[in-house]
Amino acid sequence: MKNKLFVAALGLILTTQIGFAQDVLIRHATVLTITKGTLPDTDVLIRDGIITEIGTNLRAPRGIEEVDATGKFLMPGIIDAHSHIALTSINEGSSPVSAEVTMEDVIDPYDIGIYRALAGGVTTSHTMHGSANVIGGQNETIKHRYGKRDPDELRFVGAPRTIKFALGENPTRSHGRRGSQGGGGIVPATRMGVEQVLRSSFENGKRYMEAWDAYNQAVKTNPRAVSPEYNDRLEVMADILRGDILVHCHSYRADEIAMLLRVLKDFGVTKITFQHANEAFKVAPELAEFGATASVFADWWSYKMEVYYSTAYNAAILMRNGVLTSINSDSREFIRHLYHEAAKSQRYGGLSDDESLSMITINPATQLGIQDRVGSIEIGKDGDVVLYDSHPLSVYAIPMQTYVDGKKYFDRLTDPDDMRIQVNPTASFNSYETQITGKDHFHGENEILDFEDLFGVEFESTTSTSKSN
Amino acid sequence: MKGLLRTRKRIGIPVRILLVVFTLSLVLPQASFGQKNSPDIPKVSNVVAIQGATVVVSPGNTIEDATVVFRNGVIEAVGKRATVPYDAEILDGKGLTVYAGFIDAMSQIGVPAPDNNAPQQNVADRSNPTFDQAGITPQLDVRSVLMPSDSSVYAFRKLGFTTAHVVPQGRMLPGTSAIILLSGDDADAMVLRGDQSMFFQFAGARGVYPGTPMGVMAKFRRLYIESDRRIRLNEMYRQNPAGMSRPPSDVVHEAFFPVITQNRPVFVFTQNALEVHRALTLKSELKFNMVLTGLSNGFDTIEKVKASGVPVALTLGVPAKPEWAAKVKADSLEQILASFNDDTRTATFKDIEAEKRNLEAKQLISRKQYLALPSQFAAASVPFSFTSFGVKADDVASNLREYTAAGLSKVQALAALTTTPAGLLGLSASMGSVEVGKMANLVVSSGDVFEESSFVQFVFVNGQKFEYERPKSKEESASNGSKGQ
Repeated sequence: MKNKLFVAALGLILTTQIGFAQDVLIRHATVLTITKGTLPDTDVLIRDGIITEIGTNLRAPRGIEEVDATGKFLMPGIIDAHSHIALTSINEGSSPVSAEVTMEDVIDPYDIGIYRALAGGVTTSHTMHGSANVIGGQNETIKHRYGKRDPDELRFVGAPRTIKFALGENPTRSHGRRGSQGGGGIVPATRMGVEQVLRSSFENGKRYMEAWDAYNQAVKTNPRAVSPEYNDRLEVMADILRGDILVHCHSYRADEIAMLLRVLKDFGVTKITFQHANEAFKVAPELAEFGATASVFADWWSYKMEVYYSTAYNAAILMRNGVLTSINSDSREFIRHLYHEAAKSQRYGGLSDDESLSMITINPATQLGIQDRVGSIEIGKDGDVVLYDSHPLSVYAIPMQTYVDGKKYFDRLTDPDDMRIQVNPTASFNSYETQITGKDHFHGENEILDFEDLFGVEFESTTSTSKSN
Repeated sequence: MKGLLRTRKRIGIPVRILLVVFTLSLVLPQASFGQKNSPDIPKVSNVVAIQGATVVVSPGNTIEDATVVFRNGVIEAVGKRATVPYDAEILDGKGLTVYAGFIDAMSQIGVPAPDNNAPQQNVADRSNPTFDQAGITPQLDVRSVLMPSDSSVYAFRKLGFTTAHVVPQGRMLPGTSAIILLSGDDADAMVLRGDQSMFFQFAGARGVYPGTPMGVMAKFRRLYIESDRRIRLNEMYRQNPAGMSRPPSDVVHEAFFPVITQNRPVFVFTQNALEVHRALTLKSELKFNMVLTGLSNGFDTIEKVKASGVPVALTLGVPAKPEWAAKVKADSLEQILASFNDDTRTATFKDIEAEKRNLEAKQLISRKQYLALPSQFAAASVPFSFTSFGVKADDVASNLREYTAAGLSKVQALAALTTTPAGLLGLSASMGSVEVGKMANLVVSSGDVFEESSFVQFVFVNGQKFEYERPKSKEESASNGSKGQ
């Protein structure tokens, strides 16, 4: 009895804490569970935001909303392991190491990009710091609860902390080779410099950790012990060394990937996902041996020198070599059709349906440390699902409805045209057109200290105190 | 003699003019300015009585046909039967309305903007700039940069503001604020109280760390937590320095000490709802006393702000009308608004006009939300002051009228300009209402101060009178031919 009360109380806390969980019963769908095969003509029951039953002819709880999905395909909500939607700033590009900043502080729940991602079946994004810095900021894993207006309500509560690293041209161009003459440059200007920044940051983090450990010991017996100076940057480095933060590293070339593996090995860091990693296929066995994972594009490269060389077989080669691999968007446009991107990898690499779909569901979930909660349709997992009119790996597939925590956030047939939550009361209509259409790799509109800065153009800070009037 | 006469004749007219000018210069200046400027001749009277006016004692409390008497800058009597002292300068208040002087909860009145918009030059390592380069100068005292002659002092006083809580110009942590009166010949004469609060905004430095709001958040946390550590070290060192290295020390961290010991609030400027959330995040993590200011488009945050108990000062700025709407007549705008359908599902290629009208309507609705911000706070029973931070003086009166037209009552508007900011700034004992014993800060309006037809005729700051002419109406300006000038 006590136990039951406790469970009820816990349930109440969870639902009030989350506050958006709902019930829904989806009937007669072809259910692509990803981890437990494909189930034809199956019902899925979601209660309080959690999948509670999967089967045929499920008994409908009283008053529950039922969705007839006859002829449709239900798959787990897509997870994008590399995204920059829903953020007001991307790069704290002023410093090659900015581990202390966190995207959690700049989540933008009003971003229409969240809704567009929902329209592509994506329910969870790993919103990342940009790639200007060797060690960028901490990322935030969010659920696409579009319509919520408090940034905290988008958080994926319980998701592990992650941090962005970046190798190669972006950090060297941002810091070492600033301006046309390279004036004002600081380390790193080369790939060697990038490694040096990594090693010295880890070394300083290690010393910081040791200094605090020593202080915490000393203060037990000596009340006059003096604590080390507080340094949030080094504290985050120490947390990486402790294994509390997963590393996600922007990388392209095989040599730099191998370099980071060596650095991490030297400092005992084991959890690493290589983002982009267009040459990862060249070091696939090494990645597999290390236990590293990869999050790649299906067939996108040659957009700058360091990513001149790649192959559409990258994902398949990695998978076949035992490297856990996902397909990501890194784009407000790609995020709308990650199921196409997964299908491309299947087309080139001959992967099975489940293997292809795992690259946009359970694999990115694993890379984000949320595989127990999302990424497949299983009892006990979150009710984050998407309903397609045909098989999601078909070029004709169209997402019809998208659910997060059992609540419908996208419905192709009933949603009105204009889904913006916040409308600029003054801007001219033309300015809305600049809200990113087409292929776009220039992270977001509110870029600060990034690409203009990289190319030596005088930048406009959006944080200037321009007031409303 | 002849020659002399001739000479005198020749210079006759100029001499006469000179004589007149000289004589006038002996008489006139002393009559008009002598009382103020001369240290040894006192003003004839320091007592003023406004007789027979409508006196708004405090928001919602009005006395008709009443008299207000004040002496040496202090209100001596208020009421229908107040005695007018024999030595009072009498001002006929018939038809006039007297209010307590307005208090600006946060502004930059009298604080001229430095030319700091150029990107940082010659920063050797932009990842590690000096505090100055990073816009972190919390030790800077606004009193050292006050300019009594700044045109903003004149402009805001003319609107009825007599008191302002002023903050320095700058980026992330510009400095400490002061409470000033909107009169005085030098900075010291204006200042009522210094070191009032720490001013903080999410304005990253230009080109150096911290450049973004997330960098600003991180930097604020770091400064705060390290300052907290230093307070403890300093205390240890003060008690017994023997055997202990000298604790690190700098003016920036020391400026945080009174904030950490809760002796100084932090006024945070937020320009949108997201910045309100960020400020409240810092508040809940670090637990310091905070006042939220600005909050433009903060309508989504009202419940959270209310729950936090953090006092607020709402912006006096409203968004400009979109360009297309400025060209459309008011009744047509209402039509567009009425036609809004939140559920439109029209394929663009079928009916572009319908889609466009809907977008226009949605934009109008969005602007209405901004205008309804104060009335929504009032409806949620969250007390608020007004702040002119970042708002042009020219726009204040019309913006206030937009607020009242959107549902804010005049009593609430007046409270946000008088009693509430007085309470917020710890000035209630001396300001905020027209009551005996309070400072003679008064606005005397030709009628209801929130009506467009009225104008502010007198402003008294600490008893000092400022008189204003009725602004020319459009017809008058047109008939004088001054419109084209």
